[in-house]
Amino acid sequence: MNTSNGAPAVLVESISKTFRIPNIPKQATVKDLVLRRTRREGSTGIVEALREVSFSLPHGGVLGIIGSNGSGKTTLLRIIAGVCHPDGGRLAVQGSVAPILSIGAGFHPDLTGRENAKVGLLTLGLTPREVKEFMGPVLEFSEIEEFVDLPVRTYSAGMMFRLAFSIAVCVDPDVLLLDEVLSVGDERYSRKCLERIDGFKRSGKTIVLTTHNLEFVESWCTAALWLNEGRVAAQGDPAAVVEAYRTLTPTAV
Amino acid sequence: MLLDLYRTTLTALRYRWLAYELLIRDLKLRYRGTALGFVWALLNPLLFMAIYTLVFSIYLRIKIPNYPLYLLCGMIPFNWFAMSVQAAVTSIPDGRMYVGKTLFPTELLILTPVLVNGVNFLISLALIVVFALAMGVHLGWSLVLIPVVIIGQFLLVTGIAMILATFNVFFRDLQQLVTYATSALFFITPIFYTREMVPERFSFFITWNPLAALVQMYQSVFYRGTMPSFRELGFVYIAGIIALALAATWFQRYREFFGEYV
Repeated sequence: MNTSNGAPAVLVESISKTFRIPNIPKQATVKDLVLRRTRREGSTGIVEALREVSFSLPHGGVLGIIGSNGSGKTTLLRIIAGVCHPDGGRLAVQGSVAPILSIGAGFHPDLTGRENAKVGLLTLGLTPREVKEFMGPVLEFSEIEEFVDLPVRTYSAGMMFRLAFSIAVCVDPDVLLLDEVLSVGDERYSRKCLERIDGFKRSGKTIVLTTHNLEFVESWCTAALWLNEGRVAAQGDPAAVVEAYRTLTPTAV
Repeated sequence: MLLDLYRTTLTALRYRWLAYELLIRDLKLRYRGTALGFVWALLNPLLFMAIYTLVFSIYLRIKIPNYPLYLLCGMIPFNWFAMSVQAAVTSIPDGRMYVGKTLFPTELLILTPVLVNGVNFLISLALIVVFALAMGVHLGWSLVLIPVVIIGQFLLVTGIAMILATFNVFFRDLQQLVTYATSALFFITPIFYTREMVPERFSFFITWNPLAALVQMYQSVFYRGTMPSFRELGFVYIAGIIALALAATWFQRYREFFGEYV
């Protein structure tokens, strides 16, 4: 379903996000609360993760978000996914979204691959009948074969990624979100994923991903965005953004 | 507040298939590999019915006719509350693989134990009916109101479960407190004694305790064979809706921090 009525697939307008971590230390107890010991001294608990971030991505676009650790990449992706709400600004995403925000997220370690896939597909809004229909293709694409009916805690990171990626792409979402996960698969499987991403691109679907792999951004993305301390440092043509990032960030690999 | 309640309800309805899958999965896990299957749901109340009858009716000589039936009418609804709340209070950290990283709705983590124990409750309700019929209690039109009572109880249990689950994310010893509190509640609720046995100056334990109102309605229908009191029914609904509205408000306000704290 391509809902292109002229609107971009993903529109982000001056989105800001400040984390106001409540003044409660981790491991707080009701006992502390009663004894009034929960106030953390000296800590304001305010983290400005994103400041006035804007971009617009057309249908069929692949946006690579780059930047050093802690620059707000994951927060931006979480906001687009809808698991985190921005303080200000506007977000408009056309169509269905499938996110992979970290390896192993959404998988219960004690459930089998098949059971986890079922929960994952239902989470993406499928009906039980659709789940039945999609289960075959998902398991086939993931190539986890004899591990399908074993608990996910026995899986390697690569296998978990393969299953998560298969769930996300097999439901054919309009927007696919990937947070630093493409580097997990082995050489051969990564190529398989890239082919799938290419197919995605050509059928007018949209991808937003974060990565530290600058060559990947140059060769696969249609646009790039460089985040620095929560602000957009540069955006546009991937080669130009990567070039600027390389020159201005000496520590970058 | 009402908006939060609406939003929370909407999410639960939108993900009904996921809720159904989680419910079935938990029921399977609970009874999988047990030869007796769901009979286990009946054994627990039967065992405690026998022990309490021995202790309170025979040893302590509490004079209540048809004592085993009286006990079941209080214990079985109380267990739905106690078991749901104890399981739900840790449900958000228990589901840390979903919280803040996926589109999986956190509401369902809390709702699942309430539903699982609700199914358990419905199975054990059959036990009450069998005992009531065996004891010759007249079960008439008042049975029609039982679904209304059950819905009221569902609102109350869900509301309390959600409030406790939300705050347990930040204050982890709440789960221990909940264990103590549910035991204390069991004793101040008229389950193995009647409200007439409570001295006047302690009657506020009955008057202000929604669980007392709740178990007394089941006792009216299945033990005395009379209509449940509408005052009690109203109390349970009001308490349930207030609990749920507060739960939804706090849950929506603090949910964005769950990811950092689980």
